[in-house]
Amino acid sequence: MSDWVLDPLNRTFMQHAFGAIVLVGIICGVTGVFVTLRGLAFMGDALAHAIFPGVVIAFLLGGNFLIGALVAAILVSLGIGAVGQGGRLSNDTAIGVFFAGSFALGIALISAQRTYTRDLTSFLLGTILGVSRKDLLLTAAVGLVVLAAMLLFRRELTLVAFDRTFAQASGLNLWAYDQLFLVLLALTIVVSLQTVGNVLVLAMLVTPAATARLLTDRLATMTALSALLGAGSGVAGLYVSYHAGIASGASVVLVATALFALAYLFAPRTGIVTVRVRRRLHFPHPERNVFPAETA
Amino acid sequence: MKTGDGRRETGGTSREQPRFHASSDHAAVSAQIADAPSESPRGAPVSRLPSPVSRLTTEGLSVHFGPRSALDQVDVAFDRGETVGLLGPNGAGKSTLLKVLAGILPPTHGVVRFDGVPIRRPDPCVVYVPQRTGVDWSFPVSVLDVALMGRSGRRSRWAPLGNRDRADALAALEWVGMRQHADVQIGQLSGGQQQRVFLARALVQNGDVFLLDEPFAGVDVPTQELLVALFGRLRDAGKTIVYATHDLSQAKASSDRVLLLDHRLVAAGPPDAVMTGPNLRAAFGGAAVVVDAAGAMP
Repeated sequence: MSDWVLDPLNRTFMQHAFGAIVLVGIICGVTGVFVTLRGLAFMGDALAHAIFPGVVIAFLLGGNFLIGALVAAILVSLGIGAVGQGGRLSNDTAIGVFFAGSFALGIALISAQRTYTRDLTSFLLGTILGVSRKDLLLTAAVGLVVLAAMLLFRRELTLVAFDRTFAQASGLNLWAYDQLFLVLLALTIVVSLQTVGNVLVLAMLVTPAATARLLTDRLATMTALSALLGAGSGVAGLYVSYHAGIASGASVVLVATALFALAYLFAPRTGIVTVRVRRRLHFPHPERNVFPAETA
Repeated sequence: MKTGDGRRETGGTSREQPRFHASSDHAAVSAQIADAPSESPRGAPVSRLPSPVSRLTTEGLSVHFGPRSALDQVDVAFDRGETVGLLGPNGAGKSTLLKVLAGILPPTHGVVRFDGVPIRRPDPCVVYVPQRTGVDWSFPVSVLDVALMGRSGRRSRWAPLGNRDRADALAALEWVGMRQHADVQIGQLSGGQQQRVFLARALVQNGDVFLLDEPFAGVDVPTQELLVALFGRLRDAGKTIVYATHDLSQAKASSDRVLLLDHRLVAAGPPDAVMTGPNLRAAFGGAAVVVDAAGAMP
């Protein structure tokens, strides 16, 4: 058993992988709380795809992929905002148009490269076992910025997410806070890409936060739980991946999904099994209680 | 609480007035309101200088959404210490007018003045209570959290909300009879209770003008009585209250003045003078059947 736990930890690439997945789990867990509460899952997925051309252009020009991704994310979120607020098209539709369009642009650009298939695969599924020390430091630095900003603006972000009209009447600039959150979301996605890949980053954003929501009615507790669940599923998933020899991103997401299923069924107050069992315990023989006066 | 540039003399009043103390007797306050003649000229409280200018005025206010005109050339004035009901059919521009007054919606033409000064953005002294339907009630916040939001929008993000904010929020909840529910998640409340939490949040904001969008819609009788008591209490403190409603008898019972709105201003004045058959037909259309439960409609 101790070998099962300790063996992976002796390998440098696994140490880096564990570090990366814990960081990503925490960052995604915290950002994901607002993604879930504001119903921005589709937007998150769109951003994850939309930054693809930015990453490719940065790669082709030999620049920093983080900056390329951020520029692409900001352009796309501004574009979605402009098209979605025109009145004729829903926000959903605007997201769909930009999502597919920018992803296609990225594929077109990268398909001209000789290493096309390998590059595309590593972008889509992540290369967690190839995380270098430098990558790890970058993830930690960006993660700190994201978490600090979320902490600093937590009241404003909560108000904007809960009651937009009231937030506006309190003098908050909705557009500015929406854009701020989208930038933080974009940063979260960018640093998660190498670890879990473009396709599965959405699960890290949504699933731990959704599980946490089932377990608590407090925003602060939900945020802490979500970060914990994200990091926990990451570590557990990596162990499963290491020993069972399955893809790491997939195994992390499957662990997170399994935890969600457990919470859905057995959460103390909301789990569907828990509620049914409790009802049974309170009213063990409902038919006997129909006419209590007569039986007395 | 900071009052901005100091152009108003209201800065010192917030601590002097006894605010939301638990001893205020709802029944007594509402009885007092009910007995008062609707157009009674209530004197301003001694702490406040009478002002020659109305507190909130609009001049030639128009709002267009594309080709559609929501408000057309509306000139209104709201004074200190008065409660004004905005009456009109659905889509008459009641909510639009409130949003413009709150500084949320920029008017297409015209200007809103607060104490004579044009306002372009939300003012800290104007408190806006949105419709209950616009909020995500499944949000993981407690009743106390929502009441505290009355402070969070205006506070520097470097200054955490302190014990005094908490105490004020709890006192406001006490006043609306929701203190025992302070830790409950807001989605578990009834409609009337949710409206009370909104009122507590508005009280915590400590403003001079209160704009309420359909506060009586879908709430229980105790909450309606509480609203009327609250209006009386705020009015006695020299606050201005403007609320939208489509409940004619409610507007008649709990307003000093009513404005009848149908994109343009149809009529304004004391309820008895404004809520006449011809005026109501002009605002609500020919199909409106004017029936008053008490039979007092002229």
